[in-house]
Amino acid sequence: MPMNAFGLAPLLLVFPLIGVLFNGLVGRRFIVANRNTGEKWSGWFASVMALSAFMVSVLLFLSLRSHEYHAEVVHLFDWLAIPSAGFRVPWAFQIDTLSVTMMLVVTGVGSLIHIYAIGYMHGDPNFSRFFAYLNLFLFFMLILVSGNNYLMLFVGWEGVGLCSFLLIGFWFDKVNEKGEPMNANAARKAFVANRVGDFAMILAMALTFWSFGSLEFEPVFSHALEMFESGEMVHFGLFSASLGSVLTAVTTLFLIGATGKSAQIPLYVWLPDAMAGPTPVSALIHAATMVTSGIYLIVRSNVLFEIVRASGATIFGIVSSPDLVAYIGAATALLAGLIAFTQFDIKKVLAYSTVSQLGFMIAAAGMGAYVAAMFHLITHAFFKALLFLGSGSVIHGMEHGHHHIHAHNHGKEVHGTPQGDTHHEEDNFDPQDMRTMGGLRYRMKTTFIVYMIGALALAGIVPLAGFWSKDEILAHGSEHNLIVYILLTIAAVCTAFYMGRQLKMVFFGEPRHEAAAHAEESPAVMTVPLMILATLAVLGGGLNLPFLSQGIAETYHEHPGGVFLGLEGWLEHSIAAFELTEEGVVHLPETPKVFSPGVAGISTILAVGALVLAFYVVYANKPKTAEEPDPLQSTPIWWFSVLPLNTLYMNYIVPGFNRLAQWLADKVDWAFWHDFFHDRIIRDTFVGFAHFAANILDLKGVDGMVNGAGSLAKRLANWIRQTQTGYARNYALSIFLGTVVLLAYFIFMAN
Amino acid sequence: MPEVTIDWYVALSVILFSIGALGVLLRRNAIILFMSIEMMLNAANLAFVAFARHLGDLDGQVLVFFVITVAAAEVAVGLVLIVTIFRTKKSINIDEIHLMKG
Amino acid sequence: MGNPIVFGILAIIAIASALGMLLSRNAVHSALFLVLNFSTIAVLYLILNAPFIAMVQITVYAGAIMVLFLFVIMLLGAEQLRGVRGDWRGSERWQQLLAGVLTVTLLIVFAVVLFQGGGATGSGVTAVDTSPSALGLRLFEAYLLPFELTGVLLLAAMIGVVVLNKTKKRG
Repeated sequence: MPMNAFGLAPLLLVFPLIGVLFNGLVGRRFIVANRNTGEKWSGWFASVMALSAFMVSVLLFLSLRSHEYHAEVVHLFDWLAIPSAGFRVPWAFQIDTLSVTMMLVVTGVGSLIHIYAIGYMHGDPNFSRFFAYLNLFLFFMLILVSGNNYLMLFVGWEGVGLCSFLLIGFWFDKVNEKGEPMNANAARKAFVANRVGDFAMILAMALTFWSFGSLEFEPVFSHALEMFESGEMVHFGLFSASLGSVLTAVTTLFLIGATGKSAQIPLYVWLPDAMAGPTPVSALIHAATMVTSGIYLIVRSNVLFEIVRASGATIFGIVSSPDLVAYIGAATALLAGLIAFTQFDIKKVLAYSTVSQLGFMIAAAGMGAYVAAMFHLITHAFFKALLFLGSGSVIHGMEHGHHHIHAHNHGKEVHGTPQGDTHHEEDNFDPQDMRTMGGLRYRMKTTFIVYMIGALALAGIVPLAGFWSKDEILAHGSEHNLIVYILLTIAAVCTAFYMGRQLKMVFFGEPRHEAAAHAEESPAVMTVPLMILATLAVLGGGLNLPFLSQGIAETYHEHPGGVFLGLEGWLEHSIAAFELTEEGVVHLPETPKVFSPGVAGISTILAVGALVLAFYVVYANKPKTAEEPDPLQSTPIWWFSVLPLNTLYMNYIVPGFNRLAQWLADKVDWAFWHDFFHDRIIRDTFVGFAHFAANILDLKGVDGMVNGAGSLAKRLANWIRQTQTGYARNYALSIFLGTVVLLAYFIFMAN
Repeated sequence: MPEVTIDWYVALSVILFSIGALGVLLRRNAIILFMSIEMMLNAANLAFVAFARHLGDLDGQVLVFFVITVAAAEVAVGLVLIVTIFRTKKSINIDEIHLMKG
Repeated sequence: MGNPIVFGILAIIAIASALGMLLSRNAVHSALFLVLNFSTIAVLYLILNAPFIAMVQITVYAGAIMVLFLFVIMLLGAEQLRGVRGDWRGSERWQQLLAGVLTVTLLIVFAVVLFQGGGATGSGVTAVDTSPSALGLRLFEAYLLPFELTGVLLLAAMIGVVVLNKTKKRG
C-alpha cells in the first residue's frame, strides 16, 4: 500500500480554527499595540492558516492519486448515536475526488483572497475581526465539503450562512442616505432568504433518514440503488410510497436548499445585496465558494437525481425534479444576465453575473452533466474571484484618487486611510459607480490587464478557462434539452455584452470624474494574488480539455492513476457513472463528455459579436459624462431588463406573505389556539390540578412528612447531645468502660 | 522459694496500669493527668519486655522502643497544648475545658 | 527471671511510688514519685535482660520527659490547682465510683486469669542476644520502614510544637 496522508484530514479543520482563535482572541491586541506590524501578524497568520489548509488538501490530493482514486472515509468519532432508534451520525471525513476538488478550490482561492485582503482591509479598525471571520468561514466551508454525511454537510451549510451574515454586515454601522443601516439589512436579508432553503434541507434530511435509515452518503446511495433495482417501495410505518416519488420529494427539497444557498430563482434576491460586504468577502463567499455549495450538494447527491430521472417520476405530472433543476438554472442564468445590463455599481454587475453563472452550473447539474457543472464551478471560482478582487482594486484606486483630489481641494492632508468600500457621504461620491470611472487603463495597468483576462474568460472567449467550461455545458444542453440550451445561449450572449459594457465604462474612454483621473494602482499584496488568479483563469480550461478524454477508458485501465486524464477522469471516481435501464443499474466506464464544434463555434461568434456590439456600437462614445444616461436606457431591452423582480418581490410576495402570516397569527394562533385551546382547556385544567397539588398534596402531605422528619431528628439530636459533655474525663471514662467490658468478654465468653 | 514467672510481671503491669487509669479518671490537674498516661504506657512496656524475655524474641523490645519514641512526641505536643491553654484560660484545670460540649 | 525477693522489693517500690504519684496534691511531688517509678521499672528491665531498653528508659523517660514535666510545672506555677480544694475529689461522685469499680474489675479479671490459668511455667526461653547491636540490627532490617516513619512522626511533633507555641506578634 502506497503512503497516504488521509489521517491528516482533521487538520483541514484544525488550521482555520487556530486562525479563528488567534485573531478572535489576541489579534486585536497586536493591532492595538502597533498598527502596522499588528496588521501583518493578524493578516498573515490567517493567510498562513489558509495556506496550511491548502497544503493539507494538496496532500490529500496526492494520497488519492497514489491510492488509485478510491474514496476514503476518515472516521474521527461518533457524533450522534441513538442506538435504540438506529440513528448514528459519525463525524467522519469523506475524502474522494469530488470533495478534494472542492477543498482545493476553497483553500486555494481562499488563500489568495486572504492575502489580497491584507492589502484591501489595511487601516480598518476591525482588521482582526475580519480575518477571524474569514478563517471561520473556511472552517465551516471545509466541514461542508469534507463531511461524509448530510448532517455534517448541514453543519457546514449553516456555518457558512452565519459567516456570510457576519461578513455582509461587517460594516454594520454604515447607513445609507435615508439613515437605514443598509449593510445590516443586507446581512439580515441574506440570512432570512437562506433560512427558507435551510428549512427545505432539514425536511430533506429527515425524509432521507426516514426512507433509508442513514444520513451517510455511501449507505444512502447504495441503499437507494438497491431499492431501485429491486423495485421495492419505501415504507413509512402505516403507508408506503414508491421510491421515485420519495426521491422526487427529497431532490426537490435539495433544490430549494440549493436555490437559497446558490442564489437561484426564487431566492436569489439576497446575493446582489450581499455586495455590501467587503470586496474580498464578495469574491470568496459570494462568488467562489459558499454560493457553489448548492451545486456541490446536487452533484454529491447525483445518484438520487439520476434515480428520479430513470424512474420517470414527476412533480404533479409536469416536470421531473432533475429537469426542474435544469430549468430553474437556465431561467436564472438568463434573468440575472439581463438584469446585469442595467446595473451601474461595478460589484452589482458582477453579483448578477455570479447569479447567472451559478444558473449555468445548476442547469448543467440538472441535465446530468455533473462534471461540466464542477468544471464550470472551478473555472468560475478562478475568474469570478479575479473579477471581484479586480473590482476591489478599482474601488481602492478610485478611493485613492478621491482622497487625492480631496486633499488638493482642502489644501491639507486627509487623515484616515482608505477603507475599502467606505463611502464619503460629504460629497456623495460613490467609488463603486461605473459612471464615475473611465479611462482607468492608463492609471491602473496591472488591474486592467488581469480584469480584461477575467472578463474575457467570463465572456467565453477562446482559449480562456470560461470558454471550455461554459461550452461543455452548452454542448450538453444541445444534446439533452433544447430549451435549456437556447436559454443558456442567450444568457451567454448577455454575459459577453454586460462584460463588454463594464470593461468599456471602467477602463476605456476618458475619465468622467476627477477621482478616476487620479486613481492609483493598488499595492503588490493585492496585485500578486490577482496575477496568480489571472494565470489560473487563462490556464484553468486545461483541467478538462475535450481532447483529454479521448480514449479515457483504455488509458485509464492501462495506467490507473498514472496519467492525467482531466477532471473527467478524476471525478469519475466519485460521481457514479451509471445508466439506469430496464435491467437495472449499468455502470459505465466513464461519464460522457461532449464537445460540439458547432455549438462552440456559435457561442464564440455570438460572444465576440456581443462584445463588439457593446464596445463599438452601443457604448462606442457614450457615456461621456457621469450624468449622461445609459444608451440602452431608451430601448425596450432596458425595460425588460429592469424587470422589476425585486419590486415584485417587495410589493407582492412580501406583503402577501406578511398578510398570510398576520392572518395565521391573528385567527388561527390567537383566536383559536391561544384563546380557546390554551386558556379554556389546557390552562384551566392545569390550574385546577396545580391547586390540588399545591394546597393538599404538597402543603398537607409532603410538607407534613418532611417537617415531621425534621423535628424528630432535632429532638433526637438534642437528647443525644447531652452525652457530649466536653469533659475529657468523661470521654476517658467511657473508653475505659469499653476496654474493661471487651476484655472481660474476650476472656470469659470467647472461649 | 517460688520462681518468678511471667505472671508476676503481668500482675505488676496490670496494677500499675490500673493506678494510671485511676489517675486519668480522677485527677483534674492536666499535668498529672498526663503523667498518669505515661504511667499506663510504662505498664504496657513492662509487659512487652517481660514477654520478650519469656518468648526469647527481640521484637517485644523493638516495640517498646517505638512506644517510648511515640510517648516522647506525645508528651512534647501535649505539654505545649497545656501551655497554650494556660496562656488563654489562666488555668490547667481539665474540668474548665469543655469547648467540645455538644 | 530474677530473685523473688528482689522482684518483691522492686514491685513494692513501683506500686508505692505509683500510688504516691496518684495521691500527691503537689504536682512536683507527683513528678518525683513518677521518676522513682520509672527508675524501678528500668531495674526490672535489666533483670529481664533488656539493657538497652533500660538505658533508654532512664535517659528518655526518667531524664528528658520528666525534666520536661517539671519544667512546665515550674513555668506555669501549677504545683497546685488554684481555687480548688481536693484536686481529685472535684468530679462527680458517680464517676469516681464507676472508675473505682472498673479498676477493681480489671484487677479481678487479671487475678482470675493468672491464678486459674496457672500461668506460664518455667522461665521461658533464654539465651537470646539482646545487646544494643542486636536490637539495632533488628531495627534497621526488619523494622526499617516503621523506624523511618517514627522519624517523620518526631519531625511532625517538633514542627507542631513550634507552631503551637508561637505567639502572634501584634502590630
